[in-house]
Amino acid sequence: MSVDSPARTDVVDDAPPARRRRRPGPRARLLEALGPERRAALRAPLVVAGGIIFAVFVIVGVLAPLLAPYDPKAISGNSFAHPSWSHLLGTNGAGQDLFSQLIWGTRFSLTVAVVSATAATLVGVVIGMGGALIGGWADSAANGLVNVSLAQPPLIAAVLILALAGPSITVLIIVITLAGWAPVARIVRAEALSLRERGFVHAARGFGGGPFYLLRRHLAPAVGPLIVAGWVDWAAVAVLLESGLAFLGLGDPTRVSWGTMLDGAFRLNVITLDKVWVWWVLPAGLAITVVVVGFTLLGVGLEPVFNPRTDRGRDA
Amino acid sequence: MTLIETPTTTSETLATVEEPARRRRLPKRRVLVYLFTVFFLVTLNFFLPRTLTGDPIAVLAGSTSTGKGASVELSPAAKTKLMAYYGLDKPLITQYGHYLRGLAHGDLGTSIKYNVPVTRLLKNKVKWSAVLVLTAVGLATVLGTLAGIHSGWRRGKGVDRGLLGVFIAVGNFPAYVLAMFALVVFVLKLHWFPAGGAQTPYAHYALLRNWVDIAWHVILPAAVMSLNFLFLQYLVMRGAMVAELGSDYLVLGRVKGLSQRSLKYRYAARNALLPVATVVALNLGLAMGTSLFVERVFKYPGVAGLMFDSISNRDYPTMQGCFLLISVMVVTVNFIADFIYPRLDPRVSS
Repeated sequence: MSVDSPARTDVVDDAPPARRRRRPGPRARLLEALGPERRAALRAPLVVAGGIIFAVFVIVGVLAPLLAPYDPKAISGNSFAHPSWSHLLGTNGAGQDLFSQLIWGTRFSLTVAVVSATAATLVGVVIGMGGALIGGWADSAANGLVNVSLAQPPLIAAVLILALAGPSITVLIIVITLAGWAPVARIVRAEALSLRERGFVHAARGFGGGPFYLLRRHLAPAVGPLIVAGWVDWAAVAVLLESGLAFLGLGDPTRVSWGTMLDGAFRLNVITLDKVWVWWVLPAGLAITVVVVGFTLLGVGLEPVFNPRTDRGRDA
Repeated sequence: MTLIETPTTTSETLATVEEPARRRRLPKRRVLVYLFTVFFLVTLNFFLPRTLTGDPIAVLAGSTSTGKGASVELSPAAKTKLMAYYGLDKPLITQYGHYLRGLAHGDLGTSIKYNVPVTRLLKNKVKWSAVLVLTAVGLATVLGTLAGIHSGWRRGKGVDRGLLGVFIAVGNFPAYVLAMFALVVFVLKLHWFPAGGAQTPYAHYALLRNWVDIAWHVILPAAVMSLNFLFLQYLVMRGAMVAELGSDYLVLGRVKGLSQRSLKYRYAARNALLPVATVVALNLGLAMGTSLFVERVFKYPGVAGLMFDSISNRDYPTMQGCFLLISVMVVTVNFIADFIYPRLDPRVSS
């Protein structure tokens, strides 16, 4: 394998970290680099289905102000109104429109999931990659931190912090980020450590490439796919954590989310009221589930693309 | 030669080269990480309330951490007295030492709401948590393993695909959503199970009748919980089963004329059973987290329920006690999971 052959440097020079810049040229090249099998996997039914689910919820979240007929916190009808044309899913105990809450809940839940998944990924990359690149004590410290963090039960610590600090969207995001950075850091660190010893990285370093050059040209493109996979995985968990914490009464009380809808329903013992749970509990519960299924499908479908080692075990 | 392919080859070579060395180093490092994690949790449990809540005396007097809703206004003199009473006027390091000493003697402080030692509260609840968690993990292990054996044996067939689809679908439902659906269907519509609690209140049954009563109360919450992690057990068992399918001993068994049933359960499944033990330990950890939701929905009187109860009452010592108990248990169970596998499999000896 000649490191400095023209064809090789060509690819290296022109493949930027795909997650940053979205020019069509490099993306096409990246797809080319993935090879026919993994390219096909990107178009696999699972990925398409997951992508469509995610896209639909993102659109609903972005267009929430247009789609929702009422302010989700305004009293817009009678208490416990049954579904009608003016209130598609009826109203809750306070007379707030449940359909509008569901729509605005999409925006809140997705925002928390996307922001905390992104933050967790960033922290994980910085700690994992930083440790691996600096080496020595920094790497030992980073690795120790990762191990300790991985051993924690994420939910329990999140509950304690939220209960003590008081629930707000900022604390919520911090808590979910804290729970999720370690797996990313571990994967990125392992990859960076092995890359560091590769011939072409040695060669580039020999030619005088500094740490940032190495990071940009060699490490980022290789680690990028792992980061995407880690992001998708954690986004699913983040949705579950956010709504779960809200269900436990630890959601941001000033905002409407799917979890707070369920919490509200549970507090009022709505499930014992005949039929009310059908338009209150069921839609919120299904919304959470469908989003999580969407992320899971994306994650499972993307696995062969980003982690070719799973191919061997894939048999059914 | 493309750039994206490089990490593949690298990680594979790395794995083969490093594996023997890593396996030898594993136990000692694991123990260190475990001990450090427990110490970290204990320390976190001490410092979190002191950094996040602000004025503990204000909290005691009924105001929230954000300072809103103070029900009692304390005079400075009363405040100083209370600070001294709780030892909060001493330097932080002295307080920390005192806390560690108390912990070593099994002292978790006194509940603000019930005014009894937190350990006594926990003792009453741990029993029910154990009943719930163990039943759930037991159910998940039996059902997941059986389904996994069946699915792996019939790999790629209709049964396999069907089971896989069902488990993926069910496994993605959040525990609390599943719990609420189960409550509606099995309790409110069908009246098969009691609505909540761990026993029929005020009923003093004879021993056997009492056990039946407890089982009748625990089965629905435990089933809901087990559905949440059945998936993992099923997948692992199925994968292990598939790995055995092409084995020589199965071919020989077939040549000898052994029945399918015997080949499936006595030969393939027995060899594939090892990872189950690790998953059981992992599931125990998961179950303790899930029990937070399930105990709330079914009003089950376990530790998680106590923790939730203490959160709504702002009963900080109880909250911390529950946190410490649950998180140390989870960490310990995961630690044990790391050790079980090499012990059970003579082929993976160190």
